[in-house]
Amino acid sequence: MCNLPVHVSCRSNAEYMSPSGKVPFVHVGNQVVSELGPIVQFTKAKGHSLSDGLDDVQRAEMKAYMELVNNMLLTAELYIQWCDDTTATEISRPRYSSPYSWPLNQILAYQKQWEVRRKMNAIGWAGKSLEQVYEDVSQCCQALSQRLGTQPYFFNKQPTELDALVFGHLFTILTTRLTSDELGEKIKSYSNLLAFCRRIEQSYFEDSQAGSSSRGYSKGPSLF
Amino acid sequence: MGTVHARSLDPLPMQGPELGVHADDIETPEMEQESKQEVLENKDVIVQHVHIDGLGRTKEDCLTYEIAGVFRAKNLIDVMKRAHEARQKLLRLGIFRQVEVVIDTSQGVDALPNGLDVTFEVTELRRMTGSYNTMVGNNEGSMVLGLKLPNVFGRAEKLTFQFSYGTKETSYGLSFFKPQPGHFERNFAVNFYKVTGQFPWSSLRETDRGVSTEFSFPLWKTNHTLKWEGVWRELGCLARTASFAVREESGHSLKSSLSHAMVIDTRNSTILPRRGALLKINQELAGYTGGDASFLKEDFELQFNKRLFWDSVLSASLWGGCLLPIGDKPTCIADRFYLGGPTSVRGFSMYSIGPQSEGDYLGGEVYWAGAVHLYTPLPFRPGKGGFGDLFRTHFFLNAGNLCNLNYGDGPRAHLSKLAECIRWSYGAGIVLRLGNIARLELNYCIPMGVQSGDRICDGVQFGAGIRFL
Repeated sequence: MCNLPVHVSCRSNAEYMSPSGKVPFVHVGNQVVSELGPIVQFTKAKGHSLSDGLDDVQRAEMKAYMELVNNMLLTAELYIQWCDDTTATEISRPRYSSPYSWPLNQILAYQKQWEVRRKMNAIGWAGKSLEQVYEDVSQCCQALSQRLGTQPYFFNKQPTELDALVFGHLFTILTTRLTSDELGEKIKSYSNLLAFCRRIEQSYFEDSQAGSSSRGYSKGPSLF
Repeated sequence: MGTVHARSLDPLPMQGPELGVHADDIETPEMEQESKQEVLENKDVIVQHVHIDGLGRTKEDCLTYEIAGVFRAKNLIDVMKRAHEARQKLLRLGIFRQVEVVIDTSQGVDALPNGLDVTFEVTELRRMTGSYNTMVGNNEGSMVLGLKLPNVFGRAEKLTFQFSYGTKETSYGLSFFKPQPGHFERNFAVNFYKVTGQFPWSSLRETDRGVSTEFSFPLWKTNHTLKWEGVWRELGCLARTASFAVREESGHSLKSSLSHAMVIDTRNSTILPRRGALLKINQELAGYTGGDASFLKEDFELQFNKRLFWDSVLSASLWGGCLLPIGDKPTCIADRFYLGGPTSVRGFSMYSIGPQSEGDYLGGEVYWAGAVHLYTPLPFRPGKGGFGDLFRTHFFLNAGNLCNLNYGDGPRAHLSKLAECIRWSYGAGIVLRLGNIARLELNYCIPMGVQSGDRICDGVQFGAGIRFL
């Protein structure tokens, strides 16, 4: 969105290559910066920013919505992938263990599952059922939908970091195959969010990839 | 040599005041004594019984092989020699604290006049021994707990457990060793381990969790070892400033490999040998028994020693190795060879020769290293016969090279690449021998042939280790 040249590279050990253990991360010259917040600050230090046109109130609002997305959508994604037994067994564990050979693939997949479940325990989501999680996602989408309204982007007519983050999560949810389509359906029930995703995909990604279904099993775009 | 007691064959009559001797009587026994005294060396003897006393949990069947040689003795000196050899064999099993030999005449109903009984009085080691050490080194302190169970099931099996808890890393290992009864040199061992290592020259941290089984056997004059090893390797960056090439290697991988090692060692000592030669050839094939890593690795080590005038020793050694990846995956940084440092090419910093990226050394797939040493006793020989004998001065010339294989160029191009830009160094120093395992060196080195990217350590360099070029 900032019109900076970027090359995306997919590696099986990207999680371990990252200095903080989380993807995505960028490798620019000699520097390696990981996670959205530091990447945004890094590009801002170099003089590129999407939120220059916002005033302080709007910036605070943007931060609040970004926190909402992180707390709700991200946690729901992790819950559905790892805490739901059918999804974990059929999709998440085989996918996570595919680059490795036996028995390492089993060990690493179970290790990841235990790690995510421990995290869910710590934040109190362990007791939630799948239906409750779907409800939470629905509420989050409702809040986003209300904020978006009929505008093309969340703030004015220019995209900001919030647009990038929301697009990332919604696009991934819509294009990742899970055991049931219920999550995708919840998103689709908010038509303006769906139109928002399509619009961004057409404006920024149409020329660089074949189509929305080419992603398949990938968790989301990773910038290298 | 242990204590050997031997009683004479014919017991002589006792003489004393109780017998009430007459003058005539005194004369006769002495003459009898002279005629009965025989030269024991030439007298034929038969070893009738060989006992082992003091066995607790050791099973006798595995010991019969070690003591079988004693039965074949023909005369007394032979008996003593063979008994000594059997004692050495019993001690090398590692299950006895002490072995004493007692040679006596045969007693009992079926005793022959020239029959002998040989008894080995042994003291077994305790069932379990423990040790506790603290170690400090490399900015890390650690506590090491060791547990050893010699002779677990009675046939010289050994179980060892070692646990090391440090400020930075924790590692442990469990090992089981079993020799074949009767052929101690044929043995097999099973190890489980978790080892962590930090390599600051590559900014790399490696954690290995693995299991290995090995089987050793002698064949004519050589000693072979076949080993299967399965390791779960986890690589990580040691610092945030690690180069991207090292960062790319982070993550998990599984290596399952079969390896074979052959050793011919005719040296008289492992550290500072005076004569003899060593040839060690090692090959490792990974990938055909599972796992992610897939390569063929060859490694050899050659050393000659010859004694010269005035107690000095000339030693020449050559090392080399080659790592060939199989398939299209590139080699892993943990499998490659490294060169440089006080234990290989002296004058350069530890493992700081060859391909590097932003100051992190990545290792190479092909290398060779050679050295010529002249060891002499310390000048003016202080402390001769005692402490001074542990020291030696040496003059050395080291050379070596390390590079990667650029596939498709052919072997001739690789050989020429190894022959150009050779790193070499010369110098002199003092060597201290520690037991029979390790040595310390303090050298003054002058490195030459330094290429851009190598890190040198000219001047005084200190080294400690087990395997030196």
